[in-house]
Amino acid sequence: MIEAQALSKRYGAKAAVDAVSFTVQPGRVTGFLGPNGAGKSTTMRMIVGLDNPSGGHVTVNGKPYAQHKAPLREVGALLDAKAVHTKRSAYNHLRAMAATHGIPNSRVKDVIELTGLGPVAKKRVGGFSLGMGQRLGIAAALLGDPHTVILDEPVNGLDPEGVQWVRHLAKGLAAEGRTVFLSSHLMSEMALTADHLIVIGRGRIIADAPIQSIIDGQGRARVRVRADRPQDLLASLAGEGVTSQVLEPELIEITGVDARRIAEVALRDRVLVYELTPLQVSLEDAYMQLTQTEVEYHSHSLPDASEAVAPLEGR
Amino acid sequence: MATSTSSAPAPSRPRQHRETGPGVNFGRVMKSEWIKVTTVPSTVILIVSTVVVMVGLAALFAWSLTMMAQSINDPSVPAEFRTPTEGPGSPGFQALTTPSSGLAFGQLLIASLAVVLIASEWTTGMIRSTMVAVPKRVPALLAKTVIIAVVAFVVGFVSALVSYLVAQPILRGENLDFALSEDGVLASVINTGTFLALVAVISMSIGILLRNTAGGVVTAVGIFFVLPIIVQLLSGIADWIPDAARFLPADAGEQMVAVEVAEDALTQWQGGLVMAAWALVLLVIALVVAKKRDV
Repeated sequence: MIEAQALSKRYGAKAAVDAVSFTVQPGRVTGFLGPNGAGKSTTMRMIVGLDNPSGGHVTVNGKPYAQHKAPLREVGALLDAKAVHTKRSAYNHLRAMAATHGIPNSRVKDVIELTGLGPVAKKRVGGFSLGMGQRLGIAAALLGDPHTVILDEPVNGLDPEGVQWVRHLAKGLAAEGRTVFLSSHLMSEMALTADHLIVIGRGRIIADAPIQSIIDGQGRARVRVRADRPQDLLASLAGEGVTSQVLEPELIEITGVDARRIAEVALRDRVLVYELTPLQVSLEDAYMQLTQTEVEYHSHSLPDASEAVAPLEGR
Repeated sequence: MATSTSSAPAPSRPRQHRETGPGVNFGRVMKSEWIKVTTVPSTVILIVSTVVVMVGLAALFAWSLTMMAQSINDPSVPAEFRTPTEGPGSPGFQALTTPSSGLAFGQLLIASLAVVLIASEWTTGMIRSTMVAVPKRVPALLAKTVIIAVVAFVVGFVSALVSYLVAQPILRGENLDFALSEDGVLASVINTGTFLALVAVISMSIGILLRNTAGGVVTAVGIFFVLPIIVQLLSGIADWIPDAARFLPADAGEQMVAVEVAEDALTQWQGGLVMAAWALVLLVIALVVAKKRDV
């Protein structure tokens, strides 16, 4: 379990993480979602004590990370795949990490097998692809068989087989009752992996809810209707706060009421309806709506000078 | 790179929160740092070349002393250019410093090694793995410092001892050979190691503070080689400058390996303590800064 209380990180006048509070529960995969520069990595670095918070505090399994006697057995973290000496082999890197906690070499070999690093374990990490680096980072995170697993952008650079493997791994770990906290800027990946979502933008929590309720809550019901007299239908629905868009003379999209309500009104008014399609709101849409105002680096329009600050993430 | 991955994690089992298995202690951190030091090839290469170069320089120095001794009895050399046969400048006296004669070069290599070992943690990003495994930070940095200091001591001591052994047959030709038991010789051999250990600690501290390999090496070399030269050039300006210069790490450290101490100079012990004080102060500053700073 990870608990953050009013956790903040400021760099000068700029708040990278702005008084966020959240709880990551065991037994499910919690996705940490946000655009680049939203504060995901900074938050994760504060959880494992690499960065000192400017305010607030965060505990893992009831204690600040640094106060655990055996931190690697409490929390396994993949924060960035490049946290390895490039001249050392993967096997020796893991052996050195394991030695700090008296973790036996048999466990080192286990995580090498588990992550599929076997064929390259004795090679220098400097020659690894991004995907192999990610696997090594995940292997290091699993060394201590930890209760809590934190993975920052774990699928970056992985091939499709690797992506699927991470998905299974995360779900499997959560099914065993562990706390799994997974960050990504890819909504589609989260939709497949996470049970619960914490959405962050510009250092603030925008949403903290089960994934389904984020989809339901953000996307208001939208229904495509083909009818012989659409204007009559709209007139009857006018009192219910709907908005509509006329696409063709007999084709409209109605937002604000669900399909069943439209069918009821149509039946009452004897309007012929020959298509009634609820339009599924994707998590992607929900995410875009959530973060619309929170994205720091819009891809269009040049930022004005005061906004053109380099991202603080990924140092 | 093709890889196969075990499809599923370990079979499901209920997990309760509990303390499991051994935790972090200083001995384990030492073992981890030892693995780290010995599994980077450049370290081993640098250590071996330090010993080779120090012994080589000592042999060369011994040979040059025999040349000098020969010239003493050479009638073709005018009397005023002859080397004195007695006192500090004489070959017989200088021969006693052979074991530590490679020190200047050894200190350059050990300083570089220490800076590279610690600064590469930051330049490669390894430090994040290190600090996640040892979040209290100080034990990890201290363990690495202890290991490098011990390695530097062994390198210095072994080099001086081997230098002594290699130099004896060369010196014997001119009857300049001497026993380890002669006054101050054994202490000089041991202190060649102690001096390098302290050089390592100072360089490690600089590496921790600067987190940058090139900058750290330049700073360390500056402290040990450039600073004494600058101070010497300035010594004419005021009387206190040469007085103070004795307390620079390089100057004080040099006294540690002296076989005979000049009148106004620091003794071996004093020199050692001054240099140890430098090392301790810099190390404490480095650890405090590293403890507070974001990684």
